[in-house]
Amino acid sequence: MIIEKDQEETRYFCCKGCEGVYHLLQDEGLDTFYEKLGNQTLHPATQSDDDLSRFDLEGFKNKYIKTNSDGFNEISLIIEGIHCSACVWLNEKVLHQTEGIIEATINYSNNKAKVVWDEEAIKLSQIIEKIRSIGYNAYPYDASLQEERGIKTRNDYYTRILVGVFATMNIMWLAIAQYAGYFSGIEKEHKNILTIAEFVLATPTLFYSGWIFFRGAYFGLKNHFVNMDLLVATGASLAYLYSIYAMITKHGEVYFDSVTMIITFILVGKYLEVLSKKQASDTLDKIIGTMPTEATVIKEGEKALVSVENIEIDDIIELKPGEKVAIDGILENSAASFDESSLTGENEPAYKASGDTILSGTICLDSVVRYRVTKRAEESLLHTITEMLSDSITKKPYIEQLANTISGYFSLTILSIALATYAFWQWYSGSFETALITAIAVIVIACPCALGLATPMATLIGVSRAAKRGILFKESRMLETMAKSTLLALDKTGTITEGKPSVIHLYTYDGFDPALLLALVQSSNHPVSQGIQEKLYTAYPNLILPSLTDIKSIDAKGITAKSKAQSLAGGNASLMHSLGIETEFQSKHTLFLFAQEGKITAAIELQDRIKKAAKETIQALQSQGLKIVMLTGDHEASAHGIASSVGIEAVYHSLLPTDKASLIDRFHEAGEIVVMAGDGINDAIALAKSDIACAMGSGADIAIEVSDVVLLDDSLERLADAFEISQTTFRTVKQNLGFSILYNIVTVPLAVAGYVTPLIAALSMSLSSLVVVANSSRIKLRRKT
Amino acid sequence: MSGSIITMMIGISTFLGALGLAALIWGIRTGQFDDQSKFIDGARFDNEEELRDAIQMEEKKKRAKAKAEKEKNYMPAD
Repeated sequence: MIIEKDQEETRYFCCKGCEGVYHLLQDEGLDTFYEKLGNQTLHPATQSDDDLSRFDLEGFKNKYIKTNSDGFNEISLIIEGIHCSACVWLNEKVLHQTEGIIEATINYSNNKAKVVWDEEAIKLSQIIEKIRSIGYNAYPYDASLQEERGIKTRNDYYTRILVGVFATMNIMWLAIAQYAGYFSGIEKEHKNILTIAEFVLATPTLFYSGWIFFRGAYFGLKNHFVNMDLLVATGASLAYLYSIYAMITKHGEVYFDSVTMIITFILVGKYLEVLSKKQASDTLDKIIGTMPTEATVIKEGEKALVSVENIEIDDIIELKPGEKVAIDGILENSAASFDESSLTGENEPAYKASGDTILSGTICLDSVVRYRVTKRAEESLLHTITEMLSDSITKKPYIEQLANTISGYFSLTILSIALATYAFWQWYSGSFETALITAIAVIVIACPCALGLATPMATLIGVSRAAKRGILFKESRMLETMAKSTLLALDKTGTITEGKPSVIHLYTYDGFDPALLLALVQSSNHPVSQGIQEKLYTAYPNLILPSLTDIKSIDAKGITAKSKAQSLAGGNASLMHSLGIETEFQSKHTLFLFAQEGKITAAIELQDRIKKAAKETIQALQSQGLKIVMLTGDHEASAHGIASSVGIEAVYHSLLPTDKASLIDRFHEAGEIVVMAGDGINDAIALAKSDIACAMGSGADIAIEVSDVVLLDDSLERLADAFEISQTTFRTVKQNLGFSILYNIVTVPLAVAGYVTPLIAALSMSLSSLVVVANSSRIKLRRKT
Repeated sequence: MSGSIITMMIGISTFLGALGLAALIWGIRTGQFDDQSKFIDGARFDNEEELRDAIQMEEKKKRAKAKAEKEKNYMPAD
């Protein structure tokens, strides 16, 4: 802690970084930031590494910087470290006060910023440096991706729906007056005024809000198929034209209210589906943004930063601890531990010695190493993965929805019936007007309202019921796809198992001091140490920790330390051997040995435990006829061990992320509809490729982003619930569709016979929609038996 | 009730409603509802200082634009 005394005030800082930030803000006159902060606490400011020069490189410029219409530079940044509105305020303020920055806006919800600056006054690296100097970090992303388009479509729909809702609400009270007049008598003059008002309101609804349907119908016809949009568009515009005719000739009833209601209702249904389209681009941006663009190349004994694209095969690259591997290669004359969790999903670091292959995307953990490049940047694994990922996000398999299939036939049938009705009445009564009115009545009465609402209503309620159980469906149509699925692919670590080792046996011997062991394992954040810590906290509460000195962590073996005069060692058997301590312990699980003064006082067995109720859930799903396979990056023995204990027969092991993805492709070729459940970065491509992707709530960001379903509490039981809910919902969708077709079978003949009065039309229209809504709400009432 | 009164009432109420609708649509189109959190917190940071800041930014933009314009039209005397 740093204590600083000013004339009157005494300030406390946790570190130099925070003190620096405070003075910087004070000098700029921005110290009200700390008042705005309220009860928020900040993370200590970190000193960033000097990679600033990369922001001024030519390649970087071409990729991320755009020139806007005024001739200024523009870039989209993701700002890291924002957690309250005061942070947004501070960043905007600081950027605004910087000379040369013309515009800076930050979106608090997703931490994305748009910065416009004058290239001659300031360089991008200086801007990034400014952001870093106040304790945040920024990296660029490509904003022209799906995200912006998504927001645009959403706002477009909003506007159209608002116009529709506004018109419908107003037309409703006009129509009530008209219907009242229909029964109790109304003056011709007043009726005409109401009609004209309705006309004024219906026109923008049909042509502006209803534009979506005209467009949809046009594209449908262009590709030679009849869709629901065509029925809505013809129905609404015919009713509209006829109503204008009735308005001018002043006899007959007008249907302006039906026009706006049909358009608005079905538009809302359509919007419910558009709304939930997910935006996977967000996290992809993050991955691409953190991809190393340069590496330290050793040439003739000299170190040089070379941009990744220019690195040739057989170049030697130096890697410092904490650095991410940019290009695949082979280690030379050095050894280190690597964090491979982004590729295999296993948390335990892998120890690599000279001659071992290292893959891009892994992180060097503990020493400076040199390696020989074996692949060019664009062929390296990390690059391939991001390529595949952005590819598969846009090319998600699409399962045709039942409602769409039906509505095609439905539209065609109704349109031909209407045409036949017109021909019949023309021949029968000889009057063009009667024939046209009857034909229009057929189309209007075959109100596609119920049909249009059948799926969205049911899925919306299904999604909300799932959300109450901790299952988040990101897109409502996924419920139907999930109900139709035939194969479930499960990841091992983190999905079937808990993903971290926990203690299964703790053997202690004379002289064992748990406080010393706890102090020792606390000095490391290796997953094994953390598993032991958890066990010690529960087995020996209230330990008083001694202080340790000379803490050394030994690559892939363990830790040694000293407490007062006592020497301590904790790690695997090979650590004990290298220290000259005799052991006879053997275990098929992970084994951790603890020695005090060269004598082993504790042996601990750890294993990645299978989740609760995993076996029962998997059996229940299998009994429903679902095929279940396991995909894992782990090695054969442990994969089969876990699989046999939960009852999965089909096991694919030692898979790289790309292998998992190609397996999903193979399942697709075999005609399966695949649900994939996983949690790691390594599952991301496979998740993106499968029909339904399920991510665990505690999983990696990217896995959650690309998936369609998120299980908040990580349990497999929720997965079974998700299947149950989706099946119930799909059953309801089928009932709704069945009902609206039945309704049409009853009412359309009436319309054909010419028996439809405006009253029947209005009543049946609301009734059919109400039945669909009521039937859908039953999903919410159903309890799991 | 006479026809003209009904016409006027319907006309005025629809017009007022349409004004509100137009304002709401303008808000959506200009992205004022895109960032929910900032929208909600907006009141906390809405004061004179912010206003001055906004004006300052606009002036800065104008200056930079004028400068760029000047340089584009600059012709060396020969």
